[in-house]
Amino acid sequence: MPIDEHALKIDEGRCTGCVECTRSCPAKAIRVRDGIAEVMAERCIDCGECYRVCPQGAIVPVTTTHTDLSAFKYKVALPSPALYSQFGPNILPEDVLHALLSIGFDLAYDKAYACEMVFGEVKDYIEQNHSREPFISPVCPAVTRLVQLMFPELTSLILPFRPPREVAAKAIKMDVSNRLGIREDEIAVIHITPCLAKLAAMINPPTGEKSYLDGAVGISEIYAQLLTALKQREKKVDEIPELLHRSSGMGIGFGRVGGEVTDLGFEESLAVSGVQDTISILRDLERRKLQNMKYLECQICPGGCIGGPLTVQNRYIASHTISKFVGLFGSKPQVEEMMKSGEQERAHFRLAKSINPVSIPPLDTDTSFAIGKMRLREEILRKLPGKNCAACGAPDCLTLADDIVRGRASIEDCVFIRADGQYRRIKGKGARKR
Amino acid sequence: MNDNVVFSQKLDVEGGDFIRGGESSCRILEILKELAFPPAIVRRAGIAAYEAEMNIVMYADRGTMDLKVTPDRITIIIQDEGPGIEDIELAMQEGYSTATDKIREMGFGAGMGLPNIKKNSDEMEITSTVGRGTRISIVITTNGGDSRDADR
Repeated sequence: MPIDEHALKIDEGRCTGCVECTRSCPAKAIRVRDGIAEVMAERCIDCGECYRVCPQGAIVPVTTTHTDLSAFKYKVALPSPALYSQFGPNILPEDVLHALLSIGFDLAYDKAYACEMVFGEVKDYIEQNHSREPFISPVCPAVTRLVQLMFPELTSLILPFRPPREVAAKAIKMDVSNRLGIREDEIAVIHITPCLAKLAAMINPPTGEKSYLDGAVGISEIYAQLLTALKQREKKVDEIPELLHRSSGMGIGFGRVGGEVTDLGFEESLAVSGVQDTISILRDLERRKLQNMKYLECQICPGGCIGGPLTVQNRYIASHTISKFVGLFGSKPQVEEMMKSGEQERAHFRLAKSINPVSIPPLDTDTSFAIGKMRLREEILRKLPGKNCAACGAPDCLTLADDIVRGRASIEDCVFIRADGQYRRIKGKGARKR
Repeated sequence: MNDNVVFSQKLDVEGGDFIRGGESSCRILEILKELAFPPAIVRRAGIAAYEAEMNIVMYADRGTMDLKVTPDRITIIIQDEGPGIEDIELAMQEGYSTATDKIREMGFGAGMGLPNIKKNSDEMEITSTVGRGTRISIVITTNGGDSRDADR
């Protein structure tokens, strides 16, 4: 069963209840119950750490299938710039985009170009609206959700812009519809994604507005097909009607951490990647330690999108390839003429609704009751062994105590307490002192 | 509200430990979030607690942070064994600092610690004995505290 409003499911046939996922989850959103992992949808941030660590392959991304796609008349691939980094520096973005056509897409749109387009606007917006605290990048959906859940007070700092993939999806639909006379609802824009988070944000957008994307396919899912298509690419060169790749090295750079910051060019900005480092920098921001910074780029995956759980290439090699492309395609964004165009288009870059906190439920919505439960939780915690072994199915003793207070677990779930109870029954009283 | 409803927790802070410095105030912040206080109040308390904690890390040998929470009042008492403060009035001024170069190199000691604590709390009391240590008591009241977040 897919987890509500998220992009993964647990394959119960494969799950052995080993607790690796539980322990790896930065949001403490997974419990093992009756030998099977369960994801608490309201806490999951879609970072994909569980998918990375699961030794059984029991965490399964719920991506778009061929059957889903066949419902559409016209299919457009919108690849993350990270896709360009997956085949080494000798396969150019143009080749990759054409390979997407060979495997069945009707059009492949250079998303890196949309990144340059949106960030041209972002730069002006920050110049005009920046106050004492930095804006948080709106690009990585797992970071947005992390902020909404764990740093509710920082939600207002998320830059009120649609991520480039959404801007591009809308522009593609309008353009294809105008040119080819196909209704917008017959056009599918499919994100070729390095992660689960983009898919989750499509199913459950942070503002509640409907996403313009119609699906997402993991890079790893079509990698083999693309490799085959790339090997045969020589044959197709003559048929190329127009250049698909339009971005400079700047847009391609969005595939790795630092791409946004480099494009914006503000000295007072920071780029951070990896879930622990992201949490730690957000903590500093919460403590007002980043005053006078203008922009904070956070990417939940180490190294940025090239480190996504659905990528194939080693992320250091991928980063090297991106460096090569930056050198090759230069660092001058290719969108200047676009910037002078339509007010309407530019208005669409901005979010229509604001992003609101979706705080993790407190112990109780009434502080008086919450205080009572907190005391109870401390009492329970003192009884637990403090080994954080996760054998109970919760990631650590504090979380088990929390689950008990919230009525989701019992103290007997602790193997030490259970064993101790049995020992006492055999040996009589006083077998355990704590 | 029932004033008998109290949650308290005592946390230790080690002087000179910049690696773990900040963990106790982080813990306090987590607790306040779980107790359903409004985000703006949690953030103010978090900042005040963090600055106080870092004062121990930077200047004192060791210290403790005592958190006491009732539904309408968050009290944090920070007590340290350390050099104490000679002139409290001077120390409360923005930009005044006795931090060593080493501490400044690490990005601390800008002389904003005590002023920040004051700015982010509703009541602040500070007493100090030179050569013995410092005691800071911070109170953040939860009624209508949101609008006090003047630093935004």
